[in-house]
Amino acid sequence: MDGYESGGRLRGLRCPGCGTITATWGLACARCGRPGLEEHGLSDRGRIVAFTVLTVPGDEFLNEAPYAYVVVELEGGGRVSGWMQGIRVEGNVAIGDPVRFVASYKPGVQFARASTGGEASPP
Amino acid sequence: MRETWIVGAASSRYGKMAETAREAATRVAMEAIRDAGLEPKQIGHTFVANCFGLAEHQAHVGPLINSGLGIPEVPSVTVESACSSSSAALHEAFVQVAGGFVDSALVVGAERLSHLTTQTATTFFAIAADYPFETRNGATFPGLYATLASAYRAAYRTTPEMFGAIAIKNHANAARNPHAHLQKEISMETYLASPIVASPLRLYDCCPFSDGAAAVVVSARESIGRPAREPLVVRASARAGAVTGLHDRPDLLGLPSTRTAGARAFRQARLEPREIDFLEVHDCFTIAEVLALEDLGFFPKGTAARESGDGVTARDGRLPVNPSGGLKAKGHPVSATGVGQVVEIFEQVNGRAGGREVPRTGTALAHNVGATGGSCSVHIFSRR
Repeated sequence: MDGYESGGRLRGLRCPGCGTITATWGLACARCGRPGLEEHGLSDRGRIVAFTVLTVPGDEFLNEAPYAYVVVELEGGGRVSGWMQGIRVEGNVAIGDPVRFVASYKPGVQFARASTGGEASPP
Repeated sequence: MRETWIVGAASSRYGKMAETAREAATRVAMEAIRDAGLEPKQIGHTFVANCFGLAEHQAHVGPLINSGLGIPEVPSVTVESACSSSSAALHEAFVQVAGGFVDSALVVGAERLSHLTTQTATTFFAIAADYPFETRNGATFPGLYATLASAYRAAYRTTPEMFGAIAIKNHANAARNPHAHLQKEISMETYLASPIVASPLRLYDCCPFSDGAAAVVVSARESIGRPAREPLVVRASARAGAVTGLHDRPDLLGLPSTRTAGARAFRQARLEPREIDFLEVHDCFTIAEVLALEDLGFFPKGTAARESGDGVTARDGRLPVNPSGGLKAKGHPVSATGVGQVVEIFEQVNGRAGGREVPRTGTALAHNVGATGGSCSVHIFSRR
């Protein structure tokens, strides 16, 4: 139900009808309605398509703020949400930045910068 | 379908409430029933919204409200649709009355969260997102709208001042509304100096956590010969849903459920946006007002933030938006918000909006969103 395996890879579903890839649990495609989604491995790399840097957290991120909440378009398709540690101000991250899924010490999908070499190619 | 009217309305002051949501709900319900010139025993069904009732250790509050009104035998049901709970309750009341099942129905929404800390209230609000796929990944309610704002800003190159103008306008309206939580004007300097809550949203982009209660009475035209107040004719009561997770929406530059519910409402009412005189829209954050105005078809995509600064949406502008002060400054007592918008429209039509009247009150629209658009209600009203 989590969309990821702890310490492992992101997990997704693919619609055999329209090809939509999602990480969100469901029995049928939210785009075209077709039932029977197939398991689909997701890339652990992608680019930020929208984000915020949060200074006022809820209970579960009390010790993390400020941090970034990001929507990421993964290489090969599919979008997931996640968070990034240590992003304290808006200028530290930007739309289009490459990121990679990392093992986290807490539940939830965590990303980190895919650093310098531009190893993540554009989606 | 029978012609259906809003015949009475009442609201508490939004803000910090000493009494429970149950008491406040019962009080405004009684006021709305009397405002309509009716007796409680004429109510055929009560529709209640109290999304966060568990914060007061109370579910199933409908029978308690009805008993407090002296009508324990009348059926009630609680409707939950996050921040659109009470407009969803209004829709259910409309269905029952228009469909001929009851002649008059009570719709009441109430919320009390001020006894919680900001952190706990933030946690509560985030529960209405997709918990395993958004909230547990760090999303908060302001964080999700901030994420939408980041996409909008990148696409249309908006400035903070454009959003500041919306906050300033809604505060100016709330300053003239005795029901409002934040009855104070703010300046651009104050707006720009307010701290970032979730970038790019500043504190003054955000609605407050409010307590409050609001109620309306919905009646069939033929059951009320001569209404005590000028009724609002319900021209449309439309709802829509959408995928909840922002990461599952290919387009982050609007709310798909607003587009769908809005189109349905205009079709039901056989009206077009240019025929609407004023609006109450769901502006939990300034970005939400911008998205609402575009998704409902009042402004072309990418222009509402820019145009709002020119006074078009001010109380005396071409299209007054949120004369009540909106969620932004009137306040956002989650389950009272949707029906509270209708209270504002009723008061405008009945000449009770002293000091914040809009110039034309022939036709009005109320737009209420559940969370980040998993649900949306659009109602259109006109004078007879």
